Amino acid sequence: MVTLDERPQLIDALSALRDRVAAVRLPLPLPDTPRARQTRAELLAQLDDYLVPRLKDPDAPLLAVVGGSTGAGKSTLVNSLVGRRVSESGVLRPTTRTPVLVCHPEDHHWFAGMRVLPQLTRVWLPQADDDHADDAPPPEENALRVETAASMPRGLALLDAPDIDSLVVENRLLAAELICAADIWVMVTTASRYADAVPWHLLRTAKEYDATLVTVLDRVPHQVIGEVSRQYEALLDKAGLGDVPRFTIPELPESADGGSGLLPDSAVAALRGWLAHRAEDPAARQQAADRTATGVIDSLDARLPELAGAVAAQYAASVRLGGAVEAAYGEQAKRVREQLGRGAVLAGDARTRWRAYPRDSTADELLDALAESLAALLHCAVSAAEERVRDAWRREPAADALGPARTGRDRDTAERIGVEVRRWRRVLEEIAEDEVRTVERPSAPRTAAPEADTVAVLLAAALLGGRRTRAAGERLAELLGAQAALRLRDKGGELVLSYVDRVLHAERDRRLAPLEALDVTPEPQAELIAALSVLQKEK
Amino acid sequence: MVDDDESRAGTGSGAGARAGTRAGAPAGARAGGGGREGDRDPDRAHEQSGRWDDGLIARRAAERGAAVPEMPPGADDTQEPDTLPPLGGSYGGPLRARLDALHELVGLSRTRVESEALAEAGRVLDEAAARQRLSSRHTVIAIAGATGSGKSTLFNALAGVPVSETGLRRPTTSAPIALSWSEGAAGLLDRLAVPSRLRRRPLAGGAADTELQGLVLIDLPDHDSAVTAHRDQVDRVLGLVDAVIWVVDPEKYADAALHERYLRPLAGHAEVTFVVLNQIDRLGTEAADLVLDDLRRLLDEDGVALGEHGEPGATVLAVSALTGEGVPELREMVAGFVQERTAPERRLAADVDAAAARLRPAYLADGRSGLDERARDAFTDRLGVAVGAQAAGEAAERVWRRGAIRACGTPWLRLYRWYERIREHGSTDPHLATPVEDELTARQRVEQAVRVVADEASRGLPTPWAQAVREAAARGAEGLPEALDELTVTIGDAAARPPRPAWWPAAVLAQAVMTLLQIFGALWLVGQIVGVVEPGLLPPVLVMLGGIVGGPLVEWACEGAVKGPARRYGQEAERRLREAAAACGRARVLDPMAAELMRYREVREQYATVVGTRPSSRIVGGGRGGTGRLGATRTGVRGR
Repeated sequence: MVTLDERPQLIDALSALRDRVAAVRLPLPLPDTPRARQTRAELLAQLDDYLVPRLKDPDAPLLAVVGGSTGAGKSTLVNSLVGRRVSESGVLRPTTRTPVLVCHPEDHHWFAGMRVLPQLTRVWLPQADDDHADDAPPPEENALRVETAASMPRGLALLDAPDIDSLVVENRLLAAELICAADIWVMVTTASRYADAVPWHLLRTAKEYDATLVTVLDRVPHQVIGEVSRQYEALLDKAGLGDVPRFTIPELPESADGGSGLLPDSAVAALRGWLAHRAEDPAARQQAADRTATGVIDSLDARLPELAGAVAAQYAASVRLGGAVEAAYGEQAKRVREQLGRGAVLAGDARTRWRAYPRDSTADELLDALAESLAALLHCAVSAAEERVRDAWRREPAADALGPARTGRDRDTAERIGVEVRRWRRVLEEIAEDEVRTVERPSAPRTAAPEADTVAVLLAAALLGGRRTRAAGERLAELLGAQAALRLRDKGGELVLSYVDRVLHAERDRRLAPLEALDVTPEPQAELIAALSVLQKEK
Repeated sequence: MVDDDESRAGTGSGAGARAGTRAGAPAGARAGGGGREGDRDPDRAHEQSGRWDDGLIARRAAERGAAVPEMPPGADDTQEPDTLPPLGGSYGGPLRARLDALHELVGLSRTRVESEALAEAGRVLDEAAARQRLSSRHTVIAIAGATGSGKSTLFNALAGVPVSETGLRRPTTSAPIALSWSEGAAGLLDRLAVPSRLRRRPLAGGAADTELQGLVLIDLPDHDSAVTAHRDQVDRVLGLVDAVIWVVDPEKYADAALHERYLRPLAGHAEVTFVVLNQIDRLGTEAADLVLDDLRRLLDEDGVALGEHGEPGATVLAVSALTGEGVPELREMVAGFVQERTAPERRLAADVDAAAARLRPAYLADGRSGLDERARDAFTDRLGVAVGAQAAGEAAERVWRRGAIRACGTPWLRLYRWYERIREHGSTDPHLATPVEDELTARQRVEQAVRVVADEASRGLPTPWAQAVREAAARGAEGLPEALDELTVTIGDAAARPPRPAWWPAAVLAQAVMTLLQIFGALWLVGQIVGVVEPGLLPPVLVMLGGIVGGPLVEWACEGAVKGPARRYGQEAERRLREAAAACGRARVLDPMAAELMRYREVREQYATVVGTRPSSRIVGGGRGGTGRLGATRTGVRGR
């Protein structure tokens, strides 16, 4: 059981948990991600706006948030409770766009700072008369108006929230966030709305969090007050909320007709009395605040694993996406090796040149053709891998975050591969040159010293042509001696494979780069669960 | 104070109706529509719930598999479109043409487009057929709205008699109630699955409402109460009626549930939509105007066209079902609407629009598509490279030239060259290659060429068609390298046996003569030295010199003469190989792809017919004729 005495360990555990939750990032758009993001935002809101401040300052005033559907008369109710027009009300929906917080002047310092609802900027209005309400500056994004009224009991603040079912999505989100910050949830509904689906979600949520809850049935026509409140009670009973305090406020001319007036004191006296009692009686206050706090902490047991599950799903998706890339490129690497072994490079142009060499084509031409053919082979492999990745990622909703896949027309890829192949060719020529320089003249004295480019082209042909170019190997041995030729071929073979791998790895890494930039790791999941178990021990 | 009114109306005169309404209606109606909601694909339900998923507040809305907001036209019918009777029988030309085109479209693309997207179109067709079989003299109008907005009260006000129970208990009406002003609507009501218990007639006096003859009014349950079965019923019936009167009240007119779930998705159905602001008696006149304006603004933001200034669109008006204010106007409008008898057609047209919009991603994509000349040429060029046409041509040219020069060369030069070769390559036969006659074609180049051309052709196509084009290319590419191999072998290696030109023997003879002259001159000189022949230095020297100078001269002349024909010969060899490869690639890859593209173009034209005018501006390149024609016909529909 949480008590509102200061509990440094509990606060530490909660702060640690909060940091873990804040550190959670859900960058991949999985089907469940929007909900997980929402869960994270709600958790943060509840921890930042309610739980941590409440536990740090058990003496801070209670915050009662008035929430409900559009047109339920929330603002009118708040105004009537305060006894002054602090929140604008009217017939046009949605009325309240900037939430308004009202408290006793002496409690003002609790709310003026960033203790609760730190993400809302505080706005102060000069004490406006009713006539000047229209002069209000245009509602600011993420603003909270703080008003003071001496008629408020000390130790209690009222917050007029926007509609929970507003057409304006930001309002809906803001309303949810504000309700998360409440010690006391005041749910307002009306005679024509009490069966609506949306407010009932909220009521059930309140029950789930075991929050201190009050319901107000507003705008009930006098004639039917008995029947409607009976109905409502029956519905509440059915939902297991029978013990929730209910207040009924009849529809009065003041609340209709433009809603400009305040309700008579008699209509709201009971509610005000109840709220004042919570604020002033230490036991009731303790109980009200305690219950909500405990409920929220208990609800973490279910909600954190949900978030942790979403984090795990993110990681799994990331692994799946990366795995598809690795598999595609791995498969192509295998295929390229197999093709090299088969001598697939020596086809088309290269084959024709080879057949004509040395009588009808020069070493340079043959080497050009071989290099080009090798580049084509690599480009084809990369394109095939990209195609595989594209197909695999098309089935993954999470891939949307990673930008469009490349197609076979990608010029840059061809460019990069071309650069690598040219580099390979240069290195090959250098090796051949070194070999020619160092090789001892073989036994046949009548032959001239072999030329470097002849050696280079024979070597390239021997390496890339598979068994089709066995003759090239033999010729090489003839020119350089068997051992030198063997050494050269080994060196060259390593060179080819290393360049092939380098090209494929570079392309694979380019493909993986956006995924790696998202930095989805499994650690946050474990950390969340760890933080939760620390909290459970402290509870 | 609508609750007050409703209670009074309900208790005062609706006692008889109440018994019938509550009896067992929900069970019957649910039996009719219950199973269908379950079959809905989960994806779409999820998509819908996604919009609502604001977390804490609306979380459970999603868990319950939120309602599907769009009207599922004829969702009950799952019959195959093939079993349809001839389409568009009683509808005017434009709609019939669009329905026919849709039918055609569904048939043409069944194997290409995912069946889920087409199922929706199939449902529209079923709906059209089903509605057409039924009475066209009747117009079915549903009254829908939130709990407590006074649907039943308005229903009763239009009926002139308390037919539907009104009351405070929320939600009040739990099953649709039908009220028909004239006979012959039984089939329509069967389709709506309204049990006969809940079919009403206006009082005897109702027959006097001649202007409302043909009207079938349906009172629907609410769509936003915690009883989700109601929402399911509303969704089902909304898909089947001809027109809808949305009842909103000053308290709830801005509810997200109404706007996001219904009005926005149904914005295309504006012409068959009435939006009625009820309970204006709760507001002052000024406030009522304010609210009405705000409602108009919200509808506008929803994308609902407003029927003002004689333009087609939704009708918005304010009434008070309780005091009767505005009800005569509404009645008059409904009467006019019913007498026009165009509601079913307009509704279907809107359904076709919606189906077309949903199919849009499968048929239209931004960007120009198709195989242009450049892409084709690039493809055949790549194939040419793959078979090594250029190198083959050059090799042929060189072989021929070498042969000619060798034949005409001086023997001395040939001897020298032979020696050089030996010295350099260490063997008399420098021909290293052992010809391998498998996989002559560069496989990787062919694969890449096909991939590039398929990407090129499918760029700018909607996904299913892009996929179809790629598949066609991939099918064609199977066996293409082998075919090219075979082709290369058949055409033969031009370098293997070059032909001999006619002047060649003459040149060889001349060269031989020159050599003979040298030998003759040398022998002559030797003879003089030995003394066999009488001395005389000049003639033998001249003869020998002639031979020595003439030999290279002949060779040089041959070299010059052989250059042109050799190049022509090489180019001819290259051209032959290239063209054969191109023809092969065209037949195997380009033609199937072009056929697929043609099919897409056909389908797109059908789609343009289905769409009518609206997206015509975005159709690039194709379907030009279709859209222009339909532009005219679509306005025709509106005009009538």
